[in-house]
Amino acid sequence: MTAMLPAPLVIGTSLAYLLLLVGVAYWADRRAAARRSVIARPWVYALSMAVYCTAWTYFGSVERAATGGMWFLPIYLGPTLAMVLGWTVLRKMIRIAKTHRITSIADFIASRYGKSQLLATLVTLVAVVGIVPYIALQLKAVSSGYALLTSGSAVAPAHLHWSQDSAFYVAIALAGFAIVFGARHLDTTERHEGMVAAIAFESLVKLAAFLCVGVFVVYGLFGGLGDIFSQARARPELADLLHAEQGGAYSWARWMGLMVLALCAALVLPRQFQVMVVENVHEDHVRRASWMFPLYLLLINLFVLPIALGGLLYFSGGEHNPEHFVLSLPMAAGQNALALFVFIGGLSAATGMVIVETVAVSTMVSNELALPLLLRLRLLGTAHQPRDFTRSLLMIRRAAIVGVLLLGYLYFQLAGDAYALASIGLISFAAVAQFAPVLLGGMYWRGGTRAGALAGLIMGFGVWVYTLMLPSIAKSGWLDVGFLTAGPWGVAWLRPESLWGLQGLDSLTHSLFWSLLINCAAYVIVSLWRAPSGREASQALLFVDVFRRGTAQTPVFWRGRADAAELKRLCERFLGVEKTRELWRSYAKEAGLIADQALVPDARLVQFVEAQLTGAVGSASARVLVASVSDEEALSQGDVLVMLEEASQLRSYSRALETKSRSLEQATSELRSANEQLKSLDRLKDDFMSSVTHELRTPLTSIRALAEILQGDAEVPPQQRQRFVDIIVQETERLTRLVNQVLDMAKIESGHIDWRLADIDVRALLEKAMATTAALLSDRGAEMELDVPQTLPLLHADPDRLLQVLLNLISNAAKFVPPQGGHVQLRARADGQGLTVCVQDNGPGVPAGHEHLIFDRFHQAGGPTPGGQGTGLGLPISHHIVAHFGGRLWLEPPAPGAPPGACFCFWLPWQPAFSGDTAP
Amino acid sequence: MSNTLRSQRLGALFAAGWLLLNFPLLGLWDSDLTVLGIPLFPLALFAIWGGTIATVAWWMESRPALETPATSLPEPAPQARE
Repeated sequence: MTAMLPAPLVIGTSLAYLLLLVGVAYWADRRAAARRSVIARPWVYALSMAVYCTAWTYFGSVERAATGGMWFLPIYLGPTLAMVLGWTVLRKMIRIAKTHRITSIADFIASRYGKSQLLATLVTLVAVVGIVPYIALQLKAVSSGYALLTSGSAVAPAHLHWSQDSAFYVAIALAGFAIVFGARHLDTTERHEGMVAAIAFESLVKLAAFLCVGVFVVYGLFGGLGDIFSQARARPELADLLHAEQGGAYSWARWMGLMVLALCAALVLPRQFQVMVVENVHEDHVRRASWMFPLYLLLINLFVLPIALGGLLYFSGGEHNPEHFVLSLPMAAGQNALALFVFIGGLSAATGMVIVETVAVSTMVSNELALPLLLRLRLLGTAHQPRDFTRSLLMIRRAAIVGVLLLGYLYFQLAGDAYALASIGLISFAAVAQFAPVLLGGMYWRGGTRAGALAGLIMGFGVWVYTLMLPSIAKSGWLDVGFLTAGPWGVAWLRPESLWGLQGLDSLTHSLFWSLLINCAAYVIVSLWRAPSGREASQALLFVDVFRRGTAQTPVFWRGRADAAELKRLCERFLGVEKTRELWRSYAKEAGLIADQALVPDARLVQFVEAQLTGAVGSASARVLVASVSDEEALSQGDVLVMLEEASQLRSYSRALETKSRSLEQATSELRSANEQLKSLDRLKDDFMSSVTHELRTPLTSIRALAEILQGDAEVPPQQRQRFVDIIVQETERLTRLVNQVLDMAKIESGHIDWRLADIDVRALLEKAMATTAALLSDRGAEMELDVPQTLPLLHADPDRLLQVLLNLISNAAKFVPPQGGHVQLRARADGQGLTVCVQDNGPGVPAGHEHLIFDRFHQAGGPTPGGQGTGLGLPISHHIVAHFGGRLWLEPPAPGAPPGACFCFWLPWQPAFSGDTAP
Repeated sequence: MSNTLRSQRLGALFAAGWLLLNFPLLGLWDSDLTVLGIPLFPLALFAIWGGTIATVAWWMESRPALETPATSLPEPAPQARE
């Protein structure tokens, strides 16, 4: 009825696609080796999470939508809500797994409850039992899709002999690919960059294919969304699909049950744990993935309902299975290329799930089932007969992958026809959801014990087997259906699908309710039965408080005797000689040792070795192995608390030490800067001394030279003699002035100066200053101007000192005025508080950058002064005097555009406010 | 670490999402109305779903402000170094 595709084309395209995946993986591995990882991006991480969408989503959602309307959706709403909490919960899982080098969910749970081998084995068994039907589902989807493409109808392939069965070859091919992706070499962190890159690529392909077929159905076969919906509403049997209610109030419980189920599954499915936790490159990637992954789910579900309705309308009443609408619709419309692309998308969904799931399960099977068995049977050699075991470890992994896939094929052969894809998927989800209470409980509740976890898991899983697994087997026809309807031995309240007489729920919700309830109850009750042992308590602390401490401060809960050489031999057996040498070197380097021979076999080294082995063989086996070469003392819960106390004390000591050393550093730097300051003051003092002595020497030299002339030569004409004597007197005055100033300065600084206070008539004082300096100014050819208000209040200060300040400023100004047209203005202004006096000249002004230095005690600005009159002390002394009366002295900044010149001003209060500190 | 403003908001969003996407609130949308030809119930489901995702994206991508502790920590804050 519809055009078929030739089988070689389908097989060839599929194989080419799978080879392309291998190419992507190979490329990613090469990039990882070159330290340019392609998967170290948040969006790749988010895409790899989309391995959640398997063939069950791809084909099954449409089937569920075709029979139940929007009821396919809770399975995707659950993970969305799980990811809302991703930043809190998932990040904690990642942190714990990275800290303890945990590589599978079985190891996670076992490690939390005291590294229990029994618990690890149990989780692995539950996972395998739960996963096998799900793998069967993928095989079924691919093989029936193939049958539909090549023969036009999805014949029940189970009737074929295995050698003619496409599903068998699919299983074998997938096993091969899973080995290539996941078990080609041994990595102690169980990270597979190539696999993740391939999975992310597959996620893109399946999304693109599904969107393509959605757009084709909605806009190619129909006239848009509105058209499909209006046609559906016109048909009563389809109109129901657009509503929520599918009969009875209890159906809402099913909706909620599905959401709980999917929420748990998104966190605890082995494949989700593998991509979200084990393959996580950076914790921060959770940030983006927590909305990108839900967005992916939304996009891939966008066209599910339209395709389901479209199929039902298009084939109205025909015998087409809704599971295959995505293939049969394009084929019916003659779009074989699109159908092939859609098939490749389905193949992507199936292979992605199978590869990741088998790799994850194979890690568990080899670490938690095979290895403990081999260790017990002493097949690995004893500590005294060492043997490199890395190759055997790989072989076990590969065998586990093949084994799981063959189990899946077997299940498919036996039960493949009995159930639709969707129900197989839900049964699997419900089994794996049993991990959620012990996993989440273990992360947030310290009181959970190994016995509690075992009880919870066994009871929960038992109830699941009884209420969901057995009925599904019975309905497939292998068991008498009698025990379903009448109950075992006729006991009605034990009927599997209405346990204790609970009726009204559908079988899945019913099973989920009882199994999770009994699981949680057993976990809590048995955990509370007795206090946790030392090992349980220590692991509980490390898990629950993982965010409280940095990795460097993790307390070590181990006590006993060990031998470094034995530990090293152990590592060599399981990690290989090369890898061990590398690890040993890095550990020694971190411990600050040069040679690794000097390593002390302390608790930290034992813990390091155990952590490395955990990555390779799982925590329980690692503990057994380490215990085989060391004498460990059993810890009680009290010991753990003491050790924790010690660790936290150590932590607070180290924090205190850090604080102390920080404050010490600060004090050192303060001292250093004080020292620098002292040094510079000392240098200034030296400079000052040398400049003072230089100043003293200049007049002395000339005095001495002239005096010698006068002494030696009696013939000097009187006129000349007079001149010489004048110069000698002049120079002596200069000397006196200099010495006086130095003395003044010293007196002011030491506070030994006598101040004589009087009421001063400011105008009279200024005129006196003018009169005193008139000669000096007229010598320099400069004129002086006085600008003073007629009446001024009396100023209370020391008139002599104030006059000294004025003379200083005026003589300074006189020194710098130009030879011709020199002009000095003396200006006084009064305000409410005090008096401002300014001395303005028309000289070159103070050079830029020296404005603040000129008041420095030991600083002489401006180089040699004209006439060699300066001592460099005038301004500092004036500054001190003014400051003594509570005033201040400053250099007025030149107004922009004003003619050059310096303007020194001081301000004094009418009544002196004595300042204790006269230093600048 | 779980005391940041962001974590608390996400917890609240989880609760809100759980309520909005379950009985009885979800039942409010179950009617014969259509919007642009699309029945209200599927449209509302996708809208609430999309709204939740958008809110998470908004809070996750706006970085610094939400990292501050919402309540004062009884202990010194955990050290940032690895």
